[in-house]
Amino acid sequence: MSETSSLLSLRGVVKVYDTGEVPFTALRGIDLEVHTGEFVGIIGKSGSGKTTLINMITGIDHPTSGEIVVAGTRVHALSENELARWRGRTIGVVFQFFQLLPTLTVLENVLLPMDFCHMWTPRERTARAMYLLEQVELADQADKLPAALSGGQQQRAAIARALANDPPILAADEPTGNLDSKTAEAVFGLFEGLVQQHKTIIMVTHDNDLAQRVRRALHVSDGQIAEERVLRPRHGA
Amino acid sequence: MRSVRVTKVLRDLSSHWFRTLLVVLSIAIGVFAVGVILGGRQVLVREFDREYAASQPPNAVLYTAPFDERIVRDVLEYPGVEAALGRRSAEVRYSWRGSPGLRTLRVVAYEDLESISVQKVVPEQAGHWPPGRGEIVLESSAKQTGDYRVGDVFTIAREHDDPVGVKVVGFAHDVNAFPAQFSGAETGFVSFATLPDLGLPQTFDQLLVVFDQDGLTQRSASRVAEGIARDVFEANGIAVYATDVPKPGSHFLGDIFKAVSLLLLALGILALALSGFLVTNTVSALMAQHIKQVGIMKAVGGHASQVTAMYLGMVGVYGVMAVAIGLPAATVTGKWFIGYAADILNIRVVSHAPPGWVTALEIAVGLIVPLLAAVVPVHAGTRMSVAHALSAAGVPTTEFGHGRFDRLLGGVRGLPRPVALSLRNTFLRKGRLALTLATLTLASAVVMSVFCVQSSIDRTIDDLDAWWRYDMEIRYERPVDAQVLEREIRAVDGVSDVESWITAPTSLARADGTRNETLVTQGVPADTTFVAPSVTSGRWLEPGDTDAVVVNTDALKAEPDLGVGRRVTLAMLGRERTWRVVGVVKGQMGGPALFTTRDALATCLGDAAVSRSVVKSTTSDAQEQQQTLERIERRLEEAGYAVAETHTVADLRDQVASQLGILVSFLVIMAALLASVGVIGLTGAMSINVIESTREIGVMRAIGATHDSIYRIFTTEGLVVGLMSWALGAVVAYPLSYYLTAGLSQTIGVPLTYRFSWSGVGLWCAAIGVISIVASLAPAFRASQVSVRDAIAYE
Repeated sequence: MSETSSLLSLRGVVKVYDTGEVPFTALRGIDLEVHTGEFVGIIGKSGSGKTTLINMITGIDHPTSGEIVVAGTRVHALSENELARWRGRTIGVVFQFFQLLPTLTVLENVLLPMDFCHMWTPRERTARAMYLLEQVELADQADKLPAALSGGQQQRAAIARALANDPPILAADEPTGNLDSKTAEAVFGLFEGLVQQHKTIIMVTHDNDLAQRVRRALHVSDGQIAEERVLRPRHGA
Repeated sequence: MRSVRVTKVLRDLSSHWFRTLLVVLSIAIGVFAVGVILGGRQVLVREFDREYAASQPPNAVLYTAPFDERIVRDVLEYPGVEAALGRRSAEVRYSWRGSPGLRTLRVVAYEDLESISVQKVVPEQAGHWPPGRGEIVLESSAKQTGDYRVGDVFTIAREHDDPVGVKVVGFAHDVNAFPAQFSGAETGFVSFATLPDLGLPQTFDQLLVVFDQDGLTQRSASRVAEGIARDVFEANGIAVYATDVPKPGSHFLGDIFKAVSLLLLALGILALALSGFLVTNTVSALMAQHIKQVGIMKAVGGHASQVTAMYLGMVGVYGVMAVAIGLPAATVTGKWFIGYAADILNIRVVSHAPPGWVTALEIAVGLIVPLLAAVVPVHAGTRMSVAHALSAAGVPTTEFGHGRFDRLLGGVRGLPRPVALSLRNTFLRKGRLALTLATLTLASAVVMSVFCVQSSIDRTIDDLDAWWRYDMEIRYERPVDAQVLEREIRAVDGVSDVESWITAPTSLARADGTRNETLVTQGVPADTTFVAPSVTSGRWLEPGDTDAVVVNTDALKAEPDLGVGRRVTLAMLGRERTWRVVGVVKGQMGGPALFTTRDALATCLGDAAVSRSVVKSTTSDAQEQQQTLERIERRLEEAGYAVAETHTVADLRDQVASQLGILVSFLVIMAALLASVGVIGLTGAMSINVIESTREIGVMRAIGATHDSIYRIFTTEGLVVGLMSWALGAVVAYPLSYYLTAGLSQTIGVPLTYRFSWSGVGLWCAAIGVISIVASLAPAFRASQVSVRDAIAYE
């Protein structure tokens, strides 16, 4: 992977929410380039616009104006349905509250994105899901329902699900926000391992300790990138 | 390997079994209601038509002086006649083990009971047919009026001899016989051999004729019947007293049956609409609960069409399960309902199987209606943006408080906190509330309308009471002298006053040359105090009237030419003259009748003999009146009078009430069915409210709410919804019951007097209160059992 190839590009992204009498501007003209293999941390206070920013990148939310291009796709121009298929193959999403489907087992949760996006044959899907669960050390929990797992285990299962379709990008919104420090460390370790496997990770966090450990830290404040710090050499650089 | 999506659908169904049960029951009750109501209607209509057509109903019945088989053969030769049958019919008085006094039995005798070609009789399997000498087979409707059994012996009173015993040897069905529960008299079939034992001659006095059906109308049938009377009977010196020509193909209970049938159809459509509401409501709630999961699935690559297919598939499974429950339940209940209705309407049901399209409709209601109902909420849910779906917590808490009404509710002060919370929770999910209210309101309106119809029937009967200013009535087999007769009756203990009337079968000559032979004229003293007529136009009789007649509304309906001011030619017992219609009085549910002064009728007939006495009692107690009537009958028999029939006005009132009660009993069954749809709807909505409020419940529990407080909040919420539906239903019930009563009145040809039932509204208020609380109990119990930890963790 070349350091100079731009995997993700945001140009003048503005997001305004109609919240009643006074519209609320969450993002004010964001410009951003992210390259393949980067581990980017988006840091900021509550209400600063960091979740809105990651939602723009994942296509979960639409910009009011501006352009978002991810892996050559003009995300802002896609319909909801096109976005769903694109997202399933291009970006793995990890949520703060894990968001595993409660009625599916851990294994089935991991299988679901492959099923939706028709990736691999059914037999290959199971093998791949088990491989991913082994990677996150949950193979022995594969047949359990999410409710039977601890928070850390659920988040690791959610990461396995995010990797199901082998997307080049992983977007995580406060992935450790609901975990204790030891578990959070383990999850972060997983992310670091993925970066070494050339995955691009964009992670929203308000944990300053973790923010210190990412390659690029973007400080978001009042809907703008107020500060950008490159904290340590990107893997492979 | 099974798709994960299919696994998720099946897992969602099984893991939320209570919700699955509610949704399935909601749909199943719709399938059930449609199956029972429409299936019942179709089977009853089909079986009624089949049996009526198979019975070879007569197109004319001639009531004549005695005649024999030779006349029947002549009639069969008459142009346009397809079949003819002579028989003898007489009314006798009898007693049996189940009756304290004497009852009237209509005896029908055939010469050859094994080849009845007109108005066919179908023997039941129990007992035997034909009855031999000294035996009788009862018409099946007798079972509706008493516990008659094969082997019973009837003791029949005879005019000039000791009573004679006749043994019941079986039952037979005659679809054309007037059911015993309506007429108050049982019908029995005997052989000619039994007639002498009953003191009756072995001759015919009725001719039943079937005409060539090609282009047959009531008018053309009337002309052929007149021809037979003139060319066959009168030409042979046999008097024809009356001719009855019914509308071809029209059964005498046809109007009531039509009313019941229409009612069932209307209620079937209503049940269909209600179940549609219910399913829409439930599926909308289901989608509201699943919205976050929809967001997650879309976030991990799920296409809207894939997610839509999953939820429509889930609704499809609900539908299959509902059909699996509703269809057999409707079949079993429908069979019971058809049997119940058939007994009342005196229809013999050969097959209980509903037509194929009803079963197809039931399946469509179970499968297609839920899918149609689900399309909009599923579409809305799956088309929602991922961001919106993920931010939705299932409970639209942020939506409450913006509207004027919400602020108004928020401003209500002085309510206990749990009540205020319940009240506001009720309006939290306005869409669901609207659908739940629509379902319950319609059900409430129908239930209250049924009360109003019953009240209108009661008022109509009260009006009849106002007409009847006497307590007992006696009809004689032959006209008798009034003076001697009244002296005998007055001498009986318990009699306060007596008056006797002349009754004459009357034939109206229509302008087109045909005649109406079904009228009866009553000659009553002009200053009678025994009736209080309710005059709808013109006036009542006055002393000195010599050519005035007053008609009742039934007669006016049958013959619109009988309007006030018209001059009409009436033939009574062979004497024809012109009369002037001076007034119209409200019908007394006894059919078309004309009234004139007793003196005028006596002059017209050339005979002052009376055929009917009406008696006022010294007591208002119905049982004592019955005893007085039995004493009168005994005294008259001792004095040599032949009594044909006696009854108290209380009996008459009961008969009228039982006829109209058929409609009410059908309405009650249907209303109960619709109310149960509403109750299941409320239970479903409340359960879903509880599920959606799990986090709120956890918060309340965390800040000190006890099990009881949570319980109270949810039962109060159910009560508020129930009472709102009651209030709205009462408003809807007024026009609904008015038009329902008017429609029934129009269909059955009985002018019902509308009365809104305030007591019914009050009663339903209490009932819906209890029902709402009961419907909320299970959901409230589940709410009270939610643990704080689970509630706070609930996503």
